[in-house]
Amino acid sequence: MEAVFISKLRPFLDAVAEEMELYVPKKSGDYYIFNRYDPAAEVAAEVNNIRACTPVKEFLFPLRELAAVFPETVEPEDVKPFAIFGLKDCDLRSMEILDKVFAEEEFKDPFYLKRRENMFIISSDCSDPGESCFCSAFDGRPYASSGFDLNVAKVRDGFVIEVGSEKGKEFVEKHSQLFTEVPGTLLSERDENRSETQKQLEQKNAELEFDTPLKEIVENSQESEVFDVEAKNCVECQACTRICPTCHCFYLYDTRQKDYFAKMKMWDSCMRQAYAEVAGGANPRKVLGDRIKHRLMHKFVYFLDRYGIDMCVGCGRCIDGCAGEMNIRTVLKKLSEELKDRGKKKSKVTK
Amino acid sequence: MNENPYQPIAGEITDIIDESPTIKTFVVVPDKEFRFETGQFVELTLPGEGEAPFTPSSSPAETKKMDITIMKAGRVTGLLHQCKKGQKVGIRGPYGNGYPIADFVGKYIYVVAGGVGLAPMRSLFLTLVDRIKDFKSVVCRLGARTPQDFIYKDALFGPWQKIAGVDMKLTVDEADGDWKGNVGVVTTICENKDVDIKNAVAVVCGPPIMMRFATLKLLEFGFAAKDIYLSMEKNMSCGIGKCGHCMLGKYYVCKDGPVFTYEQIKDYPDIWD
Repeated sequence: MEAVFISKLRPFLDAVAEEMELYVPKKSGDYYIFNRYDPAAEVAAEVNNIRACTPVKEFLFPLRELAAVFPETVEPEDVKPFAIFGLKDCDLRSMEILDKVFAEEEFKDPFYLKRRENMFIISSDCSDPGESCFCSAFDGRPYASSGFDLNVAKVRDGFVIEVGSEKGKEFVEKHSQLFTEVPGTLLSERDENRSETQKQLEQKNAELEFDTPLKEIVENSQESEVFDVEAKNCVECQACTRICPTCHCFYLYDTRQKDYFAKMKMWDSCMRQAYAEVAGGANPRKVLGDRIKHRLMHKFVYFLDRYGIDMCVGCGRCIDGCAGEMNIRTVLKKLSEELKDRGKKKSKVTK
Repeated sequence: MNENPYQPIAGEITDIIDESPTIKTFVVVPDKEFRFETGQFVELTLPGEGEAPFTPSSSPAETKKMDITIMKAGRVTGLLHQCKKGQKVGIRGPYGNGYPIADFVGKYIYVVAGGVGLAPMRSLFLTLVDRIKDFKSVVCRLGARTPQDFIYKDALFGPWQKIAGVDMKLTVDEADGDWKGNVGVVTTICENKDVDIKNAVAVVCGPPIMMRFATLKLLEFGFAAKDIYLSMEKNMSCGIGKCGHCMLGKYYVCKDGPVFTYEQIKDYPDIWD
């Protein structure tokens, strides 16, 4: 794919910000969050070494939005083109997952689609994945191969900017005075960086390479006690579902405004006790362990059955965010071991 | 912009019928034509208050109005019960899959229902009765807690019992002074003597515990799991398979149901909860 070179980020980001609202990663404590780009800031934005703490769904499917007005129909608020700089491969893959749900043929969500269409995606390579990153377990990479408009990779003396779409191409052509040709050595440097980081990730997560497909492991865990054991540390704060870039449950509720009625759409969490409860009081998942199990079943079994991909990108946000120190990798490992043990017992019996 | 799936169409409650101490039927006239298939459900909005899923209890052949029979069970249904004629409402839908009537042709239809589960059954029953000659026979085994708790009493205690091709029996958990019929749970009036099970389908709707025991009974009679149709009640909210509340295993009850065969869902642990 076509690539260009730029020695400093600032002129590039300034050019983007001139055309649309731009969000850039900003360090906040140990993590990055997305902030509106400020061209006057003394320190220009940097390439985040790791995915931001903010899941990209926030830009496509905000915490709360107006879904309908009654009795008059209104058009949703006009979405202006906006850009996000610093999305990672895991973020792009999380959008692929959200697209399955909100852009599926049968029922499209017009609010999501409108934002998605107006989004300009500037991804960047991961230079130093975090402790919780495990994208390699889901065929993820520390760099994006598709799904972006432009991708930025930091190299010696500057940045390699790869064009990933027609929109990205138009931008580069329009601002051709900013860019120069990429010296061949820098492209190979970028590729070396990439494979080095990839190797690091794979080594770190070698334990997650199971012999049995993950789907089979989780599907066979209906009777497992692992979920109830994990539930002992869970404080039901719902952080895992809020911070997860693929969790997309929501809640519709009605409100009374001064001169109209509104139907609102707000993030919800399957970890909430009354989440699946019906009016009569029946609740298929009263027990916390069952809710934890359902969440994993949804991610690794049900979603796969329906859409053909896992509903997890291995970004590790849930690991960072969990107040009870639950680690999804440990849970999957435990389930895998349980299945192996059961297999052993079975084969003993048959002998 | 694409059509907004969260936008209700307007309608009005034109009549309210008291069915039992806790159940009322609301006659809703939508502003625009609104067609559904029997067994599908709608989301009924009480503007500014909330929304809840109901399967219409009228025949889909009636296109000008729709009956929605509602038990007072939670916040929204409680508020609906306080509504008067003329109340404006919103309607979204219809959603999901109804009963595959075309597949029922030429067969015995074995209906088991209890309590407010008679609501979707009324819609199905009226649909079947419209073309009763297409079916071997329609067997109805219906239950309520007490005689007072039966809904559609006028039809149920009289005319519906006399329709040729319909074999209807009623039961109550607790009788009162005037009750001459059977006393006991609905499975106590289920028998398999006049039905060719191999050429029959069963339809079950009611409280979870009743559905569970009815299903077990039907399996005992020799019904195949694929021939038992269950109308599942879960917390359907968006209606379009996205919000997640109604998930039953891999299924979204709102989109893949609410009518399922027992075969489809039997391996999930939480179907009766």
